[in-house]
Amino acid sequence: MMLKIKSRVRCSDREVGEVSRVIVDPIEKSISHIVVLSDGTERVVPLDGLAVVTEGLVQLGYPSSKMGQYPFLERGNYQQVKEVEIAGLERRLEVFPGEALVPVPTLERDITRRTFFTNFTNAIGVVLALPLVYPVLRYLTFPMYQDFNNNWIKIGSAQNVIEIDKPRQIKFQKTVKEGYLEREFQKSHWVVKISDTLREEIYHGKPIEYKDASGKVYWINKPDPDVVVYSGKCPHLGCAYKWKENHKRFGRVFWCPCHLSIYDPGGKVLDGPAPRRLDVLPMRLTGAGEIEIIDAEFKAGKDHPIRII
Amino acid sequence: MSLIHIIYNWIDERIDLKTLQAKLLYEPMPGGSRYAYAFGSALLFIFIMQATTGILLMFYYAPTADHAWQSTQYILKELDYGWFLLSFHFWGSSVMVVMVVCHMLQVFIWGAYKNPREMVWLAGTILFLIVMAFGFTGYLLPWDQRAFWATTVGVEIMDKAPIVGDFMARFLRGGPTAGAQTLSRFFVIHVMLLPAALIAVFSLHLFFFRKAGPAGPFKATRQQLETKMEFFFPRQVFKDIVVMACVFVIIAGLATLWPVELLDEASPEPTDYNPEPEWYFLFLFQLLRLKMFSGEFGEFLGAIALPGLFVLLLMALPFINRNPERHPLKRPFAMSAVVFLLVGIAVLTWMAIASRSQ
Repeated sequence: MMLKIKSRVRCSDREVGEVSRVIVDPIEKSISHIVVLSDGTERVVPLDGLAVVTEGLVQLGYPSSKMGQYPFLERGNYQQVKEVEIAGLERRLEVFPGEALVPVPTLERDITRRTFFTNFTNAIGVVLALPLVYPVLRYLTFPMYQDFNNNWIKIGSAQNVIEIDKPRQIKFQKTVKEGYLEREFQKSHWVVKISDTLREEIYHGKPIEYKDASGKVYWINKPDPDVVVYSGKCPHLGCAYKWKENHKRFGRVFWCPCHLSIYDPGGKVLDGPAPRRLDVLPMRLTGAGEIEIIDAEFKAGKDHPIRII
Repeated sequence: MSLIHIIYNWIDERIDLKTLQAKLLYEPMPGGSRYAYAFGSALLFIFIMQATTGILLMFYYAPTADHAWQSTQYILKELDYGWFLLSFHFWGSSVMVVMVVCHMLQVFIWGAYKNPREMVWLAGTILFLIVMAFGFTGYLLPWDQRAFWATTVGVEIMDKAPIVGDFMARFLRGGPTAGAQTLSRFFVIHVMLLPAALIAVFSLHLFFFRKAGPAGPFKATRQQLETKMEFFFPRQVFKDIVVMACVFVIIAGLATLWPVELLDEASPEPTDYNPEPEWYFLFLFQLLRLKMFSGEFGEFLGAIALPGLFVLLLMALPFINRNPERHPLKRPFAMSAVVFLLVGIAVLTWMAIASRSQ
């Protein structure tokens, strides 16, 4: 329907006036009433089944004598549509006040030129942005990948680990340079003086080879020494696990407080979500019985150790 | 005519202030104002408070690994009212998470995410993720043991995503393990990127909401919608302010009764501290303890696939659930699903708390 302001309004017997305003229902978001200006008075007439809207004309299906039943417009009870916020109203409102036109500037009538400038604008944008992508990416990813440090670190004396198959936590100071910042902090690993049973469980009679990212072997742990060093980091999600003498179910075990992974003194997973056994660190003993390690760290959550530091 | 009127009219002549004001305030709400509609405003209020306290904290906080803990201690122990501002910021984040969940539940129960409000919901779910990211990144900044270990484990979880996981985790940490670079990165994400993202997506959220209009009650006759109809201003604004005041009192009360206490400075050696994330991540933490999520693949399922699927489902909700029915009692499946989810989260959280003493 094309309702126009100034449309004529006709009852079944005669023309009664013209549409002076329309009234919108905020729930249905459509025109619910028209205001009919007739003989200098304005009445609010419902736009229901008895009204037929055609081009320039609203035809009401009752005689003009019935018009008196509709109330006069009380302007104070209404607001202009622009004075409130009714979602989606503009799209649904079909009041036709007639077209008001403004000329398209002459220069804007050439579609080809407009397209040219649009494309050129986009191209300049791309040309500006693209060369920045790589430097920014390099800038941000700079510290993310580092070479492995294969220095040997003294962490303590093997003579302090006396009891067989009873792990001891060894704490040591480590200096780390992160970007511009050099910090010294404490780290810890677990050292076990192993029985032959544990030796078999850990080594299966074979030495453990450590390979760097390119697959080159940088160290081999021979099964001979009486001690092994486990990385202090839980292979599940990287928490620090602890030693428990009296676990309710498993007795003497390594136990991680985070996600409750449990390992036997040989590093084997007994329970919990851990995907692999405890990581044995590259280790050697000096002549004086000092334990030296390469402080490697392995990625947590993988079923085999992948070195990250 | 008073001076204020003269100034008002002067501005109005130039920028049509009256219409702007009308568009902001005079939005007819079918069925009238309600306290149930106040969650969104409460969230905006909490965000403003978080931004304010956050800016105040930054006057003294130093985001470097060698001073973060000390500067936080200084705020807590020495500065006048520093303990209150930091504790308010800390508890504000918890209350914000609670409010986000309440807001989403209300929209869900009211069926207000349905056509034509899908885009409002979509922007809302992104805001939910941003709020969780705020919590996660902010948690590291005090640089105590709690902060360091929650982050170490949290980022390790991200590492489990296929293909991009390793890159994402290294990108966030600024290295292969959590350290000084991680603090810098979390800081800039927490105070620059996330606030910008939140403001942008919130603007969209509000724009979409205003374009779609308020949903109104799920059960009302045409007559009731019309007779109870009110503008947004002043009655809904009043109800919003009442809720905001309650929220303020709750956060200030929590901050006063349980002010933040720092643990020892962050270190790769946790001594006797047992790592645990903030309470609203506890259910995820407990989930990863379950036997079914053990091993490399299990971990991927529990840490990435399941939460990822949940977020996707959340976003797809208005597109999957296209039935226009909004009355909760006539949507038994949707209602039981949400109850099941809430009970599941509650049980997992309780399990995590119960096993603390183990």
